[in-house]
Amino acid sequence: MPQPTDYTTTLDVQLVAASQAGDMPAFEELVARHRDKIYARAFSMMRNEEEAIDLAQEAWVKAWQRLKQFQGDSSFATWMTRIVINLCLDQLRRQKRTRAESIEQLDEELGGVERQMPVVASNPTEGLERAELRKRIDKAMTQLSYEHRTVLILHEFEEMEYKQIAKVMNCSIGTVMSRLFYARRRLASLLQSLKKEQQS
Amino acid sequence: MNTEMKLQALLDGELDARETREIEALLTQDTKSAALMQELKWTKGAMVGNEAEVKLPESREFFWSKIQRGIEAGEKQAAAAPAGRAWWLKLLYPATGLAAMVAVMFVVSGGRTTDDADSESVPEDVNAVSFRSESEKMSVVYVADENGNFSPVSEEVKNAPEADK
Repeated sequence: MPQPTDYTTTLDVQLVAASQAGDMPAFEELVARHRDKIYARAFSMMRNEEEAIDLAQEAWVKAWQRLKQFQGDSSFATWMTRIVINLCLDQLRRQKRTRAESIEQLDEELGGVERQMPVVASNPTEGLERAELRKRIDKAMTQLSYEHRTVLILHEFEEMEYKQIAKVMNCSIGTVMSRLFYARRRLASLLQSLKKEQQS
Repeated sequence: MNTEMKLQALLDGELDARETREIEALLTQDTKSAALMQELKWTKGAMVGNEAEVKLPESREFFWSKIQRGIEAGEKQAAAAPAGRAWWLKLLYPATGLAAMVAVMFVVSGGRTTDDADSESVPEDVNAVSFRSESEKMSVVYVADENGNFSPVSEEVKNAPEADK
């Protein structure tokens, strides 16, 4: 009886090639390697565990179906991340259509609110341990609208340029810039509030 | 682009050389802009490498089993779809063949035009086109394939010139 192939030391590119040829155990190894990253991206965008699991799963199924389209222009992980980002954005847009927008969200969209915020004069994250800093950033991110959170995630965590973000989010570069500006200003303000809370 | 956006673009390396020089000059003179730039830098700096670490709360086996089911369901769906298309196409094949025969007979019977003008015949509901040139003494029938591409299937030359005989 043939032994199942051990893929634990196989490179991603080789696993992708094997998967493209229909080798499902090779694809399973890719899933095992990158599943946390893909789920984490879905969770960071959706802020809901159940939805993030479903979207991560859907992303992997789509990836299998579209594997032949993967040309290796980027890493497999980057390609997979783009798939899950697109699925999350589709889902968030659907949710937004069925949800009444708050006055704050409308203000954010129209712009101008960020100009009224006082500039944060001292570094709100100075001296924080890394774990605490991550916790605070995560907490502050939950308080942003999905558009502002997404633009920050794509720019700061996925290291995408303005024009790439505009393409993914289906909006103009100007909108990306204004959302990013607002998101950063709001994040600075939220981090300062968290710092004050801890000090008092 | 207003000054605030330019400050941010400078921070993100998205300004060209001329605008970079302009904004850097502004930052040395305008304290408000300098303070805003500092805040933007702090925020950007705080985020770099500090994304919360999250792990998928399901076992490898369980998560994979769900993906596998999803893949299988997708493949079943994909397998069913072409079969549906084939059923439609099968109905069209005799109709296309009949249309081609009608077109060929139409051309071979000839004499539809009474003058020397070239004529093109496009019968309705037929995936074939015939072209007849009285001056060239020739007829060509084009029949469309399933993709709608026309190609000649029949060519008839009457009264070929003496030189060709």
